[in-house]
Amino acid sequence: MSNEQVKSPTQTPRRGFLKTAAATAGAAIAAPTIIPSSALGLDGAVAPSERVVVGGIGIGRRGGYDLSCFLPQKDVQFVAVCDVKQKRRGEVKKIVDDHYGNQKCATYRDFRDLLDRSDIDAVLIATGPNWHSTAAMTAAKAGKDMYCEKPVTKNIAQSLILAETMRRTGRVFQAGTQRRNLPHFAFACELARTGKLGKLTKVYAHPMGMKALMSGWLGPEPEPDPEVVDWDMYLGPAAWRPFNKKLLDGFNFEKGGGFVGAFSGGGVLEWGSHCVDLCQWAVDDCPPPVQYDPPKDGELVARYENGTELIFREKGWIPLGSCPVRFEGETGWVEAGDSGKMVLSSPELLAGREVAEIGGYPATFHVRDFLDCVKTRRQPKGNADAACNAHIACHAANIALYLDRQVNYDNSTHEFINDEQANRMRSEALREPWRL
Amino acid sequence: MHTTRPCLRTFTLFIASIATLAILSVAAVPISAAETEAELLAVLRSDAPGGEKAIVCKKLAIHGSNSAVPELAKLLSDPKLSSWARIALEVIPGDDADEALRLATQTLDGRLLVGTINSIGVRQDAGAVEILAARLQDNDPDVASAAAVALGRIGNDAATQLLQQALQIASGDVRNAVAEGYLLCAERLHGDDKSGAATEIYDEIREAELPMQRIVEATRGAILSRNEDGIALLMETFRSDDKKLFQLALGTAREFPGGEVDQALAEELTRATPQRAALIVQAMADRTDTVVLDAVLQAAQTGDKQVRGSAIDALKRVGDISVLSPLLTIALDQDAELAQAAKDTLAELPGEGVDAKIVAMLPDARGDSYPLLIDLVGSRRIDAVPDLVRALDHSDPAVRGAALIALGETVSLEKLSLLIEQVVAPKRAEDAAIARQALKSASVRMPDREACAAELASAIGRAPATTKTVLLEILSDVGGTTALQTLATSAKSSDPELQDTASRLLGKWNNLDAAPVLLDLSTTAPAEKYQVRALRGYIGLARKFSMPERNRAEMCKQALEVASRTDEQKLVLEVLKLHPSVAGLKLAIVAQAIPAIKADATAAAADIAQQLRKKGVDVSRLMPGA
Repeated sequence: MSNEQVKSPTQTPRRGFLKTAAATAGAAIAAPTIIPSSALGLDGAVAPSERVVVGGIGIGRRGGYDLSCFLPQKDVQFVAVCDVKQKRRGEVKKIVDDHYGNQKCATYRDFRDLLDRSDIDAVLIATGPNWHSTAAMTAAKAGKDMYCEKPVTKNIAQSLILAETMRRTGRVFQAGTQRRNLPHFAFACELARTGKLGKLTKVYAHPMGMKALMSGWLGPEPEPDPEVVDWDMYLGPAAWRPFNKKLLDGFNFEKGGGFVGAFSGGGVLEWGSHCVDLCQWAVDDCPPPVQYDPPKDGELVARYENGTELIFREKGWIPLGSCPVRFEGETGWVEAGDSGKMVLSSPELLAGREVAEIGGYPATFHVRDFLDCVKTRRQPKGNADAACNAHIACHAANIALYLDRQVNYDNSTHEFINDEQANRMRSEALREPWRL
Repeated sequence: MHTTRPCLRTFTLFIASIATLAILSVAAVPISAAETEAELLAVLRSDAPGGEKAIVCKKLAIHGSNSAVPELAKLLSDPKLSSWARIALEVIPGDDADEALRLATQTLDGRLLVGTINSIGVRQDAGAVEILAARLQDNDPDVASAAAVALGRIGNDAATQLLQQALQIASGDVRNAVAEGYLLCAERLHGDDKSGAATEIYDEIREAELPMQRIVEATRGAILSRNEDGIALLMETFRSDDKKLFQLALGTAREFPGGEVDQALAEELTRATPQRAALIVQAMADRTDTVVLDAVLQAAQTGDKQVRGSAIDALKRVGDISVLSPLLTIALDQDAELAQAAKDTLAELPGEGVDAKIVAMLPDARGDSYPLLIDLVGSRRIDAVPDLVRALDHSDPAVRGAALIALGETVSLEKLSLLIEQVVAPKRAEDAAIARQALKSASVRMPDREACAAELASAIGRAPATTKTVLLEILSDVGGTTALQTLATSAKSSDPELQDTASRLLGKWNNLDAAPVLLDLSTTAPAEKYQVRALRGYIGLARKFSMPERNRAEMCKQALEVASRTDEQKLVLEVLKLHPSVAGLKLAIVAQAIPAIKADATAAAADIAQQLRKKGVDVSRLMPGA
C-alpha cells in the first residue's frame, strides 16, 4: 500500500502547524546520548528513542549520494521524502524502503507538510540551490535541524539572515561542505590556522569557472499536472517564469547571484562554496575579505582586513584533483585537492604525522559530524556562521565580477562602502508567498 | 571551533542600509547608468515579451532610480511579473518605492498582496505600520501572517505594540506568525541594548500558547537578555522535561557570555541524570576559556560510566598537565572502554609541559605504567629515542614491543638504523615481527624517501636471507627511484627468493616509473615465469594509468613485440579496447598479422572503431568498408 501523502493543489493550505507543533510540547524527553561511539549509534543497535528521525527534501543526484551516507548510520531513521517531482518521490521512497525492508517511507509534495511532522528531528535539504536557504530557514522555524547542500544562499542578505535565523532558533545547521570533515583538507587548514606556515599571505581557491548560471526565461512549454511536477513549488522563491523542462535540472537553474549579463555570477558559488569555504577555514573563519578586485588574467583577488589575499583562480593549476586550495605563509605553503593528496613546501610540516589520503569523499564523516551535533548541540564543522562568511566572500566576488570593478565591503555594517550599485546586489526579493 | 559570527544586529543593519541609500539614490548612479535606465524603461512600456521585461527588472534592480518606480509598480498586479518587479522595487532607495508598495496593498489580494507585504517588511518601511496593522486583521491568514512578520522586521515601538496586542487575540497560523514577528522585535531590542524590554517580550511569548519552537526561541532570548541573571533560567531549562528545551539549554550554555555560568554548569552536572550529564559536560568543555576543569575531571574519574566516558573525551579539549596523572590512572582501569577513552585523550591532551612530564616519568615507570607511557611517546610523537632504546632491553616483551612501535612513530632518518638493526639482527626472535612493523611505519613516513630507501637498500647485503625479502617489501612501500632500482637489481639476482619477491613487488608497482624496468625484465629476468610476471605488470600499467593515448599505444606496441604467449597478447588487446584511440586502432589492425590472435585483434579493431565512431571520430580511412 502506498504511503503517498501528497496534497492536491485544490486543498487548503497546509494543516495547522500550530496544533501539531504544540503537541510535542508535553512529550517526555527521550534519553539523550553522549559523545562516545557506543552512545552515538556507531556501535550495535540503537534504541528507537535515541535515533535521529530524518526526512529528505528534494533528493536528486547529489541528494541521493547524501542519502547513501545517512542510511547506513545506525542511529538514523529516515522516514519521509518530499519532492515536487512524482517520479523522484517514488524513486527515493524505494531506496529508503529497500534499505529498511518495509514500505514506511512517507512521501510529500509540499515540504511544509513534512516539516509539520513532530516526529521528524532533522531534514536533509538537497533541492536545487534556488530553494536551499528558504527551505533551510523554514525548517529552522519549524524546529528542525538540517543538513543543507551548497551553495546555501543566493546572495549576501540570505547568508546573513541564515546565520541569524539558525542562531535565533537554536537549530543545528550543517552546510554540505563535506571537505571540512576530510582529514587532508583539515590538516592543510590546520597548518594555516595554527601558524605553521608563518603569517598567511595568500590563500587560493579554484572555483572552476566564474561565468553565468542564471537560467533566465526559456520558452514556455505545456505545464505538467502538479501531481507529476509541481512547477509552482519547483520555482518556489525564484521569480516566476514559464514551465520549461530544461529547467527541471537544478544545474540549469539559478545558482548564486543569478545576475544578468555576460559576466553573471553563479559559477563562483558552485565550487566556491567549497574551496572558498576551505580558505575561510584556513584564515580561522575570520570575517570575509573587505576588498575585491575585478578579475584579471583569470584571477580575482580579494583582501582580508589583515592584508591576506584570497585569490579566486579560474583556470589551470595544481594536479591535485577538483577543488584544489593552496595556502601560502611567510615560511611555507601547502596545497590540497580532491585527489586526497597534499603537497607541502617542506616535509617537516608533517611533523612525523601521517594524514589519511582518502580523496574528496566520502561525505559520511560530514554526515556523522552533523548527527553527533544534533545530539550534543555542538556547532558542526559546516555551521551556519562559517557558511555565511564563505558565501559572502563568494557573493562579493560575484558582485566585483559583475560590476567589473573593485568593491569594498564593511563587515561591521555589511555594506559595500559608498557603492550603491553593489549594495543593491546584496539581496533579491523572493517570489510570493515566500519570505525568509 | 572558532567561527567569527556576523553580529546579532546583522539583519537590522543590512535593512537599514537600504533606507540610508535613499539619500544617495540618483546622484550615485552614473550618467551612463541613467541612460541605460531610459532604455530599460522603454522596454517595460513596450509590448515586449514577458521574458524581456523580467530581465529588465533585474537590471533596474541595479540601475533603476525613482524614475523606474511607476513602471515597476504597474507590474505588481501581474502574476507573472510581480516577483520580478519586486526584485527592483525592494532595493531601489527612496520614498517612491515605499509609497508604490504601500499603494499596491490597497488593490492587491492573495499571494500578490503577500509578496508586496513581504517586500515592505524587507524595506522596513516604518511608514507602512498602519497599513500592516489593518492587514493583521485580514481574513486571509497568509496575508495577516505576512503583515505580522513584516511588522516584526520593522520592529519600531508602534509595530512592537501592535504585535503585542495581536498576540492576545490571534489564533492558528497567524498567531504563530505574530509570535515570530514579536520575537524579531525582541531580538532588535536586545541588539540595541534594551535588554529589559526584550526580556519582557521573551517572557510573554514563553508564557503564551504557541508552537514549541517559538517557546524555544523565546527561552533562548529570555536567558541571554537577562545577562548573568539568566543563569537561573538556563539551569531551569536544563531541568525541563521537554527534550527541545533541554537541547536549547545545551546550545545556549555554549553561547552564554562571561564566566559565572561555568560554576553553575558544574553544579548542574552533579544534579543531572547520567544521560543528561553526559551531554552537559560536553557543553562545559566547549567553553574552553572559562570551564571549571576540576568538575570535568571529577566527572571523568568517578560516577556513571556514560558520564565518565563523555568527560574523558571532553578533556581532549580543555585538559592540561594537571589532568595527566588522573588520566594515566584511568588508562589502566579495568574497564577497557574507559581505559581506551583515556588513552585516546592522553594522545591529544593539550597543554605545555605534558610531553616533558611524560618523558620525565619514564625512568621510574613500573608495571603497566611503563608500556602505557611508551605508547604515549609514540602516539604524541615525542622525541625520546634514548629512553625508547633503553626500553628495548627490558625483560617484559610488552615494554619492548611498545618501545619498537614508538620508535616506528618517532625515529628520524638519522636514527633509522636503530630499527633496521632490530630487523636485521633482532636480539630476541619474538620481537622480530613488531620490529618489522615499526620499521615499515618509520620508513613510509620519512620525508626524504630516497635517503630512506638508500638506508634500507644498503642493509639488504648484510641481512639474512629471510630478512632480505622483508626489506624489499618495505622498500616497495617507500617507493621512489632508489627503491625501484633496488628491486630491479634484486629481480635479476641469483637468489631465487629475491627474484620472486622483487618481480612480484615490481608487478604491483603503482606508478609509471616502473614501466621501463618491467619491460626490461620481461626479456631479461632469470626465469620465464618472472618474465611473464614483469610483462603482465607492464601491461597492467598501460591499463591502469592516465596518459596520452599515443603513449599508451606505444606501451602496448612494445608489449606486443616482446610477448611470446597469446595470453599476454590478448591482454594488450583488452587494454586497447578499454582505452579506444586512433593510435590503438592502428595497433589492433597491425596485430591482425599475428596468426594466433588474428580473430581477437580483428574483433578488437571493430570494437575500438565502433567506440571511436560514437565519439564522432572518422575511422573510415583505417577501417574501409566497416
